[in-house]
Amino acid sequence: MSLLTQHDSDAVAVRRGIRRLLVFATLVTVILVAAIFVRQGLLRQTASYSFVTDSAQDISKGQPVRIAGFRVGAVADVSLKDDGKVAVSMDIDADQMRFITHDARVELRKEGLVGSPTLEIVPGADKSRLAAAQARLSFSRADGLGALANQVRDEFVPILKDIKVITGALADPKTGLPGTLAEVRASTAALNTLLANSNRQVEGLGNAATQVLGKAEEDLAHLGKTLETANQRLPGIIDRTQQVLDHVEKITAEAEISLPPTLRDGSALTSDVREIVNGAKQSWPIRNFVDAPAAATLKMDSDLRGEAGGGSKNAR
Amino acid sequence: MRAELVLIAVLVVGGCGTTPKPADPPLLKVALEAESDGAKRYGRGDYAVAARRFDEAARIFSSIDDTDGMARNRLHRARTELAQGRGEEALRLLEPASATGDRALAALLIKAQAQLGLGRADAAQHSLSAAAALCTANCPQLASLKLLQSRAALAGDHAGDALAAAEAALKLLQGKDEAIETANAWRLIAAARLAGGDPGGALPAARNALAIDRQLALPEKIARDWLLIGHIQRTPGHGSSQPNGADALPGSDTANAYRRALDVAEAAGLGDVAALARQALSEIITAK
Repeated sequence: MSLLTQHDSDAVAVRRGIRRLLVFATLVTVILVAAIFVRQGLLRQTASYSFVTDSAQDISKGQPVRIAGFRVGAVADVSLKDDGKVAVSMDIDADQMRFITHDARVELRKEGLVGSPTLEIVPGADKSRLAAAQARLSFSRADGLGALANQVRDEFVPILKDIKVITGALADPKTGLPGTLAEVRASTAALNTLLANSNRQVEGLGNAATQVLGKAEEDLAHLGKTLETANQRLPGIIDRTQQVLDHVEKITAEAEISLPPTLRDGSALTSDVREIVNGAKQSWPIRNFVDAPAAATLKMDSDLRGEAGGGSKNAR
Repeated sequence: MRAELVLIAVLVVGGCGTTPKPADPPLLKVALEAESDGAKRYGRGDYAVAARRFDEAARIFSSIDDTDGMARNRLHRARTELAQGRGEEALRLLEPASATGDRALAALLIKAQAQLGLGRADAAQHSLSAAAALCTANCPQLASLKLLQSRAALAGDHAGDALAAAEAALKLLQGKDEAIETANAWRLIAAARLAGGDPGGALPAARNALAIDRQLALPEKIARDWLLIGHIQRTPGHGSSQPNGADALPGSDTANAYRRALDVAEAAGLGDVAALARQALSEIITAK
């Protein structure tokens, strides 16, 4: 009998434990669902705005929409219209509607120069009248690194072509530097002959003058040799310069293609990490443990890069 | 099971019971973060980035019409420019003299410092007179004011006045957590004593300045202290007190002091101080 009573009491205890566990699990589930609703903004009031653009490039559903760098909403829908234009609608927090004036415009910007694209609503000059919900706003795109790289390339390519033309003209065997050097060499030879004749004619004028002219003759002969060497080496140098320029042009073209995506990815990653950390810092209960920044005080130092001491004229 | 439930309940109730900190408006928070970050970088000697952060903070404070925050960050920025040896830029930032109270006094002290650095002793005296009028009895910046007065007197070849002002500052700094200013006071006392023809008294004062600056790990000050010690030991009659411990200078004390100044300055990238030390060393070699 006592054994049966003991068994009943154990069963009751187990049932009570299971009931408590179920109640606790239900509570946790409800809290989690509520947190997800709040985090996803499903309980927030929003207002819808739209704009029309020629292309959906860099615009996607769910993309953040910002005002003055603060996230205020997201792209709700991107659709292609009958006339080939792209209609974009955005859901904006109702609290932030006060910043959207009737002449506000939407700009597609990159974070930094190559960052991930974001939509920024720029309020207009007339703050007296706000845009109504469902209003259509004007839209513009900011130039990114690709456009900038194209611009640099457009500027740089003609310069490279000019350099090629100049080096080609210099390398021309008739009218370029080699031809000029050949003429100089011929003139030097004529001058040598002239000097030899002069030398014979002024031989009687004294040994000193003869020595001076002899030295000048040696120098001119040396100059002739130098010019000849330069004449031989210059075409090779010009060819190599052209090769280097071609190589630089190739590298620039490759970098234009490969660099922007890499930079954009890194920038987007940094942005995401920053957003996550900021979000964590603002969420309960972490925000209770993070000190809010306060006005800073710098330690007084009356001899910053001062001349009191070693550098002073008085110290000597 | 029961204990775990109680623990979770206590945590939840405790968390809910905690009063949430009132959040600053977003732009104010960004401005304060920039200012705070600038101050940290200033403390680490990263002056170029600190200047940018203070600039950013001042701009944001200006955009939210917080004149106090804007003025405060302009002062920070001026001090950062001064730390980089750009006195003219510091003076330009102090140009709109609209500050009042403590901030006006701080601005005048920085202004005087910049003017002294640029060799404008008369203008510095004028700024210091205006600062003295604002610094009534026991004002917190009195010691710094005295030190700048001492520097101005030293620049005007009034060694006696410089010594008196520096000693007064040192007295005011006793017992306070102002190690940088205390080292400055000792350095000025040493320089004033040397200028007044008392190299024997100057040496221990310079060593006191060096000891504090080494504790604070301030390369520029350490290099200047060694340079000053070299100058003192080069002056006849300094007494050659043969100090003990790690700082003892065996053999040619003067040359060793200049070499230490040169080593520290070169390691810290202080071109101007290194040039002074190099010149002093070459003068010694030429004299031999």
